[in-house]
Amino acid sequence: MNSSSIRMTPLHDRHLLLGARMIEFHGWDMPLWFAAGAVAEHRVVITAAGAFDTSHMSILTVTGPGAFELLQFCFTRDLTACAVGDKGPLNPGECVFGAFLNEHGHAIDDAVVYRIGSDSFMIVVNAGMGDTIAEHLRFHCTDGDAEVTDLTGRVGKIDLQGPRSGVILGKALRDPDAVLRDLRYFSFRGGMEAGSPTTDVVLAAGTPVIVSRTGYTGEFGFELFVRADNLAATWDAIFAAGKDFGLLPCGLAARDSLRAGAVLPLSRQDIGPWPFINHPWEFVLPFSEDRKAFTKHFLGESVIKERDSADHTLPFVGYDPRKVSIHDSAVVEGPDCAEIGIVLTCVADMAIGRYDHRVLSIASPDRPEDFKPLGLSCGLVKVKERLTPGTRVNLRDSRRTIPVEIVDDVRPARTARIPIGRALSVD
Amino acid sequence: MKEIDELIIPDDVRYAPDHEWARLEGHTVRIGISDYAQDQLGDITFVEMPNPGDSFDKGAQFGTLESTKAAAELYMPISGEVVAVNTELAESPGLINEDPYFRGWIIDVLPTRPAEMDELMDRAAYLEFLQGLA
Repeated sequence: MNSSSIRMTPLHDRHLLLGARMIEFHGWDMPLWFAAGAVAEHRVVITAAGAFDTSHMSILTVTGPGAFELLQFCFTRDLTACAVGDKGPLNPGECVFGAFLNEHGHAIDDAVVYRIGSDSFMIVVNAGMGDTIAEHLRFHCTDGDAEVTDLTGRVGKIDLQGPRSGVILGKALRDPDAVLRDLRYFSFRGGMEAGSPTTDVVLAAGTPVIVSRTGYTGEFGFELFVRADNLAATWDAIFAAGKDFGLLPCGLAARDSLRAGAVLPLSRQDIGPWPFINHPWEFVLPFSEDRKAFTKHFLGESVIKERDSADHTLPFVGYDPRKVSIHDSAVVEGPDCAEIGIVLTCVADMAIGRYDHRVLSIASPDRPEDFKPLGLSCGLVKVKERLTPGTRVNLRDSRRTIPVEIVDDVRPARTARIPIGRALSVD
Repeated sequence: MKEIDELIIPDDVRYAPDHEWARLEGHTVRIGISDYAQDQLGDITFVEMPNPGDSFDKGAQFGTLESTKAAAELYMPISGEVVAVNTELAESPGLINEDPYFRGWIIDVLPTRPAEMDELMDRAAYLEFLQGLA
């Protein structure tokens, strides 16, 4: 990618003024961290709140009488039985995380699908993937009764994440009660155009916004979608509201370490051109109750036959913040020093530490007084065999070898799913 | 990210091309990394240090700095024997970011060839060197 084609979000000038270190990420010039640094940004999302410019994400709409069937065929979730909470159909106002697979059952990208109306969906895919997924959907829309539109660049997006996000957003909204009351995890309200679909989901200045109770940090919070030309004013309004609540701007480094601690995948790194099975995100595959079959036919369903042969993707946590580099062909060594796989992600979650043989977070209710962890390496490995939690392996790159433990989960005491009423009553 | 005119570049230390600094303090030389280096690396999260008694030649690796971004090697700006390490860095590696020339020092060495100090850059030469990197 040459420098003349690198893209900037409408907040680029603000990022530079805030002293951001910038980095190219899938064709976009994005903040890696701001003046406070990636450690402070990671921790503030766990203790207070942070705001991320995520306008580099690609956003599509799929509309028309064939929209539902097209997504039912191309997306891994069974849209008749996937709603977060009741496992019912995905209703308007609800969204769901899943993946787009190819015919071999390999991941093209992961995505959140929003049901706007019965025949209308919004899809958030990864940076630089808008074209690929739009083309993929059009190719499989054989009867032409669904229209796929790429809104990338026309939509601005801010992720407001952390336990004080609800209080901050409440201050920025014109009618916080109407927008936030009983807003469940993986549901959303509002629209990006004036008067659509409801007029009460607006910021104090009247800016229409989609408020979605989702995110990529594992912590309580929201993803906010506005028209690109409203993004700068929205960012300013959020920071004005967050002034007394410790809100910090956060960059891609903190986004990466927070999501790894929450065991969320990074597309094209943790999921990619290999069988999309035997990993911590199998809940996005439409397994029947006995887990022997799928509840629908869809593109990539053959992946179920790969269960016995495919590699296993497993989370790990280390013993200090030292990392191995995935850009340095980091490998996994089993107990007998044989190479058994590769490292997909290795970062440090700077909010956790080991205490009394357990991993605790700075948010753990049972943490000792003055718990000031130095952080632990964590991430995902892809290995030939299923390793049980508690298994110790070594990760090795050309610089060093670090011991880590295979685990079920990494950062304890995460807040993503707490009832919104509790989040609105924090000080 | 700091602009060059925002960097702290004291004139009581000498600088190596790998951005370590060295300050003569009596018979020993204190070593750390420059403000430019800490700003480039981002938050330091862990420091791998040598033990007192270890000896290294000029240019040899004596430790690593782990940052949120990656790990970076530390190289000796002069030859010498390590006589002290900054033990505060074990609990507070961020001192290197906050105060790179004082509380964020890394090791003290007894120089083998004190004249090597004269081969390092002074403030003006290091500033020119940094401008060449920009």
